[in-house]
Amino acid sequence: MSVLTNFITHTLHGIQYGFILFLIASGLTIILGILDVLNLAHGELYALGAYVAASVVGYVVGLVPPPTDPASQAMFVAVVLGGAVLTAALVVPVGAAIEAVLLRPIYDRDEVYQLVLTFALLLIIKDAIKFGWGPQPVRLQSVFSGINSIPAASLVGLNYPTYNLVIIVVGAITVVGLFYFFNRTKTGRIIRATAINREMATAIGVSTDRTFTLVFAVGAFFAGFAGAMALPPTNATLEMGANPLVLSFVVIVIGGLGSLRGAFVAALVVGILSRWATWQYPPAELAAPFAIMALILLVKPDGLFGTWGEIDG
Amino acid sequence: MLKAVGGTALAAALAGCSSLIGAGTNENDTGGTQNVPDEPIQAGLQTFTEGPASVLGLQAQYGAELAISRINEAGGVAGREIELDVKHEADAYVENYKQFVSEGKDVTFGPISSGGHAALAPEVEAQGVVNVATDGTVTTLYEETVPDPTYSFRFQNYDVMECVSAARETVNRLGAENVNTVAGINPNYAFGKDEWKVYTTALKKLTDVEIVHEGFPDLLADDMSTHITEVNNEQPDVTFSSQWGGDVVTLMNQAAANNMFENTQLVGTVLYSAVNDLSQDVVEQAQAFSGSRNYYWGEPEPSRWSPGQQLLDDARNQWDIVPSGHFMSGYGAVTAWATATQKAVDMLGGWPSQEQIAMSLEGHGFFTPAGYHVMSERHQGLSTSYYGEMEWSGDVGAPILTGVNSYTPQEVSPPPGTTAIDWIGSW
Repeated sequence: MSVLTNFITHTLHGIQYGFILFLIASGLTIILGILDVLNLAHGELYALGAYVAASVVGYVVGLVPPPTDPASQAMFVAVVLGGAVLTAALVVPVGAAIEAVLLRPIYDRDEVYQLVLTFALLLIIKDAIKFGWGPQPVRLQSVFSGINSIPAASLVGLNYPTYNLVIIVVGAITVVGLFYFFNRTKTGRIIRATAINREMATAIGVSTDRTFTLVFAVGAFFAGFAGAMALPPTNATLEMGANPLVLSFVVIVIGGLGSLRGAFVAALVVGILSRWATWQYPPAELAAPFAIMALILLVKPDGLFGTWGEIDG
Repeated sequence: MLKAVGGTALAAALAGCSSLIGAGTNENDTGGTQNVPDEPIQAGLQTFTEGPASVLGLQAQYGAELAISRINEAGGVAGREIELDVKHEADAYVENYKQFVSEGKDVTFGPISSGGHAALAPEVEAQGVVNVATDGTVTTLYEETVPDPTYSFRFQNYDVMECVSAARETVNRLGAENVNTVAGINPNYAFGKDEWKVYTTALKKLTDVEIVHEGFPDLLADDMSTHITEVNNEQPDVTFSSQWGGDVVTLMNQAAANNMFENTQLVGTVLYSAVNDLSQDVVEQAQAFSGSRNYYWGEPEPSRWSPGQQLLDDARNQWDIVPSGHFMSGYGAVTAWATATQKAVDMLGGWPSQEQIAMSLEGHGFFTPAGYHVMSERHQGLSTSYYGEMEWSGDVGAPILTGVNSYTPQEVSPPPGTTAIDWIGSW
């Protein structure tokens, strides 16, 4: 493998990892930025997405032929992505119910109540997953190998899994879509306005209850979608929610609490730099994201785009 | 001969030799039963019942349960049936054991984890209720952590055995002259680091190998692609991995996706622990060499050694799994204790104390469907280990091991009084 090819491959791993981190962290940062709620159950919503995907995506890909020619390959990818969106949609009611039924009554209380509540939810969701899918890991290997059977990167002489390219493309589309939603759509602007000044938003007729439920539902959607997209190369386990939650904290702290743009930049920075660090010095694998966070906070204590209490596009 | 290992009926039942059970059910063969309590034996097992490690942990639980059901069907240990209480291991190794002791358990089994076993073994020595570990195979346990154990035992072959076996298997299959470079992708904790150290130490003694990459992804890492890319970049003759369970699936799936198997030969100590979760395309691409610890159901040939086939059938019928070496971890730990205790009862004519059971376990030899085992004077179980190439079997619906090579304890473990690294260094 040439030096350049090796560099490109490692960098692509970092970009792919960064987009997965962003998919996970985006939901967390939206909820934190607008609702001022640090949702400790976010990692479990991600895990729930992975488990639901094992059932839903596993089922729908069984309905289409294996990818052999361009038409069946396109259909296979479309069905997988459709299944991932459907999975995320199924996690939405869970998020909406959490906000409407459990969080809404305690917004006025001390933040520690929200932390305790969302930590309790973390445990409850984990138990619910165990009840629904059993104690052993679940997998979606057929999706990973199916999409990888499509020769995409090899067309340019690169040895790189097609599934990872799909994650990069889907992640990029998600970033554009999210920024468009918050900057260009009426609903997105209403959400930002509500986050900036709840009283004023209420005075002009915005239902903060509905807005907050929508925000939490959107956060749950992205957690579920991230879980669905992250599952095929690995497996879903009862413990899988912890690491993404911690890494999401790293990402949103580096990006600046509440900044979606910051979360995106931070996710790519952590993704690429941590993969480069692991490549150059393998023992750094565990510490790399935290070392990156420490270094950036030394230079910019509020994170890259710190705008506490407001989602900025 | 079987009577010497602890009651004919019991020993035969646990060896899987059901046809012999009838010969051993009279009073003379089961030994004296005076002063033996009437109530059932209370046993505790800690293992991983959920999460990623349950891929191993449930196999160990099922193995223990099968051994206990065979014991109970054969009349129990000195007439006492065994009741098993299972606790989730998690990171509560010591707490679980203490609770077992406070509940009055007669014996405890487990844990799976190497780190957990290092924490547990000193507590076992302090509390004095015999623990026969299923796994927790770190080399230094009885060399440094508890160098002079009384109540702590370990059934499964330890790291030095499976890593020296792996090194010998590497050289046997590839030829020493063809092993010039090696990379490692191993789990980032005591077990993974221990296995990598022992494997490379042994391989360096057998070849002129150079290490070109050492990767230690965290347990449950969902992305190992950086290490896989470096293997592709370096193209080592051999890539060694002690990944187990779900991490084997992640490694092999991502290795296949990155065409790693075109660039190196994968050798693993416990890749076969993921037997029930690997897919056909990945197994066929990999052509990996894997160990199966001290049990592989197809070796020796079932036509020459039917207990292996019987165990496979029982596991498939009761739990719908292909049993792995970790099934034998649970089965063997129970068998070691039960046959040693029966032997003590036979000699004493009554129920032995914990100390007497421990003395009976030292140097104890016994059969399981995996063959003959010895619990060495150093409290380390010793038995033949198996290596083969993983090949997909349509009949089984899972990978099998082909071209199986077996390694006796004398070939792959240090003699008494010698540490593993000193022993390898003396080659």
